[in-house]
Amino acid sequence: MNHYLVQVWAILRKDLLLEIRSLERIGAMGAFAVLAGVLFNFSIDTTAVRPDDVATGLIWMTLIFGGLLGVGRTFQLEAQDGALQGILTSPAPKDAIFLGKTIANFVLLYVVSILVLGVFGLFFGLDLGQNLGWVVFVLGIGSLGFVAVGTLFAAVAAGTHLKETLLPVLVFPLMVPMVIYGVGAMMPLVNGRPITEVEGNVRMLGAFTLAAVAAGAVLFRYVVED
Amino acid sequence: MTTAGMRRGGTVLTVLGLAGLIVLYWMCFFWVSTEVNQGVVQRIFYVHVPAAWTSFLAIGFAAVASAMYLWLRDDRLDRAALCAIEGGLVFATLVLTTGPLWGKIAWGTYWTWEPRLTLTLLLWFIFFGYIMVRNSTEDPEKGKRFAAVVAIIGAMDIPFIHLSVVWFRSLHPEPVVAKPDGPTLPGDMLATLLFGVLVFSLLFFGFFLFRYAVEALRAEADLRARSAT
Amino acid sequence: MSSDSGRLNAQDIPELGSKRSGRLVLEAQGLHRNYGPVVAVGDLDLSMSEGEFLTIVGPNGAGKSTLLSMLSGAMRPTAGSVSVCGDKLDFGRYEWRHRIGMLSHQGFLYDRLTVEENLYFYGKLFGVTDLEDRVASRLQRVGLLERAQFEVRKLSHGMRQRASLARALLHDPDVVLLDEPYTGLDPAAAVVLRDVLDELKDGRRTVVMVTHNLREGLEMATRIAIQVSGRFAWEGALQGAGWEDFESHYHRVVEGRV
Repeated sequence: MNHYLVQVWAILRKDLLLEIRSLERIGAMGAFAVLAGVLFNFSIDTTAVRPDDVATGLIWMTLIFGGLLGVGRTFQLEAQDGALQGILTSPAPKDAIFLGKTIANFVLLYVVSILVLGVFGLFFGLDLGQNLGWVVFVLGIGSLGFVAVGTLFAAVAAGTHLKETLLPVLVFPLMVPMVIYGVGAMMPLVNGRPITEVEGNVRMLGAFTLAAVAAGAVLFRYVVED
Repeated sequence: MTTAGMRRGGTVLTVLGLAGLIVLYWMCFFWVSTEVNQGVVQRIFYVHVPAAWTSFLAIGFAAVASAMYLWLRDDRLDRAALCAIEGGLVFATLVLTTGPLWGKIAWGTYWTWEPRLTLTLLLWFIFFGYIMVRNSTEDPEKGKRFAAVVAIIGAMDIPFIHLSVVWFRSLHPEPVVAKPDGPTLPGDMLATLLFGVLVFSLLFFGFFLFRYAVEALRAEADLRARSAT
Repeated sequence: MSSDSGRLNAQDIPELGSKRSGRLVLEAQGLHRNYGPVVAVGDLDLSMSEGEFLTIVGPNGAGKSTLLSMLSGAMRPTAGSVSVCGDKLDFGRYEWRHRIGMLSHQGFLYDRLTVEENLYFYGKLFGVTDLEDRVASRLQRVGLLERAQFEVRKLSHGMRQRASLARALLHDPDVVLLDEPYTGLDPAAAVVLRDVLDELKDGRRTVVMVTHNLREGLEMATRIAIQVSGRFAWEGALQGAGWEDFESHYHRVVEGRV
């Protein structure tokens, strides 16, 4: 068990180290987040709709599109020098590899999601004072669930000749529950409602994320085997 | 089961299904009572709903076959999943065409985000994704494995999608009158509905057997071509 | 000894059985791999005892890399099996992976990590204890200790190959597999490689090397196999035959005249 965690940590650390060295993904995702906020602002008719009504929804959509950007490249890191092969032929269990990569992607997306929260809060005039902790918590669960599905299908996409263009088709239909429960939980919180009102949604979101991570861990080996 | 046997079985089921379809249409048009709120157009329900249930049957079947394929690696299981998925795609398309027709006439809008329609729309994309993935790899064995994963994850997501969409709808009730559904259905309507489900299932399995036979023949032909070179 | 015509006769090839002593370390039975109609490796058998050094030579497309991939557990065979120290290569389990070290032409290194970071990473995956000492000693052995903190992308091809070699040997594998290790190496790196390979012939380790470089390949080997179209067209040992003799023998085998 201990060795398993060491392996997960090694992969997680390696992915994050590579990210820090190149800053490629986080740069793209961060820029996307801010620019999306700008474009959204101009695409909404602020006389017809109150910005804070739609802000939560837009935050989640930005998360999903931006997340797709980041997760799509998760196996590109390994493509150079066939490094993925190096990991696959090591004694690291395939689910450990999946968990390491998923958590690394999660850290990446979570950081960006906090950025999105801040930027959109600014652009749309949200008062995040109350419930900030819960809002950040809900974002975390959502990010993890998204990243789990995204990482699994990124491995699939990497093995096809369509590559990342396949990802939206596979991932978006599955994200409906996440968006519904995520926004459903977050919007009342942003509007100052107590956590008890959205407990159900948070629990469903958690269940979704748990199922996504578990399914990914089990099925990943079938995607990367040769 | 030999391919000839499958074709025979497929023929029997399809003929039965088509005969049943005729009976179903008769029941729809002439026998079952008219629904109080929507009038005659509601009768599309007896085609729309069974088609939806059949497409859910398809993904369930495909997911089980896919899981077993990943475990046992028997090509026949992969073939079965593929045929179920294709059948499911056909029936899902049927749902997505009858739905808007019904909606337009009954409520004035082509599209409504009601749970069944929404679920079928997403299911359609899962079917589509499966087929896309299966054909997009260089190594066909990889394609089969990838597609199996898509089917399994897709099927796992269905309950979540259903629950979330139902909850969402409870928040944003659409201006739609109650659709007769479930155990509160009066007797003749329930009978027609169940008969519809039976008929569509027969048709699904009939198509499935035909399609499976074709795939089996193709695999055989491939094998023969390969050993000839 | 080869005759004056330079031809290796059947009696020059000792019975493979007599050469084998010690325990069976690497075994392949009925190993087969096809991509649709194309057969890359066809029904191949292989047995290697502890301490043997097998060099596999052959023309391009003979399936040498595919064979090595299957022996290393990187690729699933379409049929047949591989066993390491009696342990069948079962893709559901992982312990056997500790026993195999692979030097692939792919390198397996991350460009933006340093040599050291790469080795630490793999060391953790392979469960190497006393990692610090191990990494240092391996780097020392391949002559990269001074460049341990260099990012891999800053290294020349020869140095990268050396780093990959250090990676392959980090966990002290029983079986070492090398895929075209001499390709593109500068003379300095080639010397390092030869030295390290020489050290591997300590009787404990079993080595399989695929190479185009007949000269280097023969120098190291206790056994040689010529692979053509997915099969071993010839297998044996050189009893002191010179490499020119072998070269002509090789060409004859490959052209199908033997």
